[in-house]
Amino acid sequence: MSNRVKNVGYENRQPFLNAAASVELRSQIDAIIDRQIAQWYETVPYAAHLEGKNVNSEYYRRHLVETAWRIRLLRVAESKTLAEIAKRSPEAAQIWANYECEEMLHDELFIQDLARAGVSREQFLATEPYLSTKLLAGFFSYLLDHEGPLGVVAYSYLVEYVNVKLEPSKIQALKESVGESNISGQISHSHTDINDDHPGEVWQAIRFLLRSDEDIASLKRYLAEHQSILALYFKELYEDKIAHVEQKAA
Amino acid sequence: MPQNVAVELPANTPLTDLEFELHGQTSIPFGCRLGVCGACVIEVVEGVGAFDSKGAGEADFLATLGYPGDAFRLACQCRLQAPATIRSVF
Repeated sequence: MSNRVKNVGYENRQPFLNAAASVELRSQIDAIIDRQIAQWYETVPYAAHLEGKNVNSEYYRRHLVETAWRIRLLRVAESKTLAEIAKRSPEAAQIWANYECEEMLHDELFIQDLARAGVSREQFLATEPYLSTKLLAGFFSYLLDHEGPLGVVAYSYLVEYVNVKLEPSKIQALKESVGESNISGQISHSHTDINDDHPGEVWQAIRFLLRSDEDIASLKRYLAEHQSILALYFKELYEDKIAHVEQKAA
Repeated sequence: MPQNVAVELPANTPLTDLEFELHGQTSIPFGCRLGVCGACVIEVVEGVGAFDSKGAGEADFLATLGYPGDAFRLACQCRLQAPATIRSVF
């Protein structure tokens, strides 16, 4: 009689990528993201605004609101992602669980900085997130139901890599424009990403989820797709808080 | 954090419980609650020995953040064992 048990993550014990291949692929992926970052600065409106000397306060506050909502929405899908990962790779599941554990409550850090910026918790809770923020959460649901967990994990790698690369200069700029004591939450968030090597942690999960050259091709496409959705958010934020206001003033 | 507020907690209670004890008031700004983000640094003004001992990881991280020495702790890593007076550094 055959054993009908499936989806316990022990079908393939030999990783597709050995250690050297994983390092090589990671450097390729990082180079792709570096090109995406350059493209980002060229095409997304106000992309470098928070790194500037003068920060529009409404733009800044709404960005914190959306960031806190994004964390709240995505952690639900990322928690569901754990189950899908566990069906495929227990090693990746252990890593992802630890990563999610560390990130799970980080919305509070942004809500604390919102309070420092004059936006109460009640005001935050009363603000419905942008459509683009909802769409990102919706994309995660689509990925889990119809393509698998790799796409969700790819988002975290993109964000963690970019954060570790760009947050230090952004934080330095915000210390001067907004005030160091007003961005304690964002500084703490940055500590976790950098000191705990979150890009490295997420990469280890990705390594166990990649099972074929097709998966590698998919990973690259996911990085571009997530960037497109994040660009929608920054466009919505710009149009709501900058372009719309300038139009009214004109 | 509220000034001059006394809170009574059972022995071995984690300081993260202060969020519930001080419900509705600004408490220590907890973040990850795992000792990796640094949001909850506190200065133990009185009663340094009132908490379970500081691990090497916590000590190293606090030193990195610029808070070396016995008086500074990550509140999320502390369990209360005796009376103490603390203040949030943020």
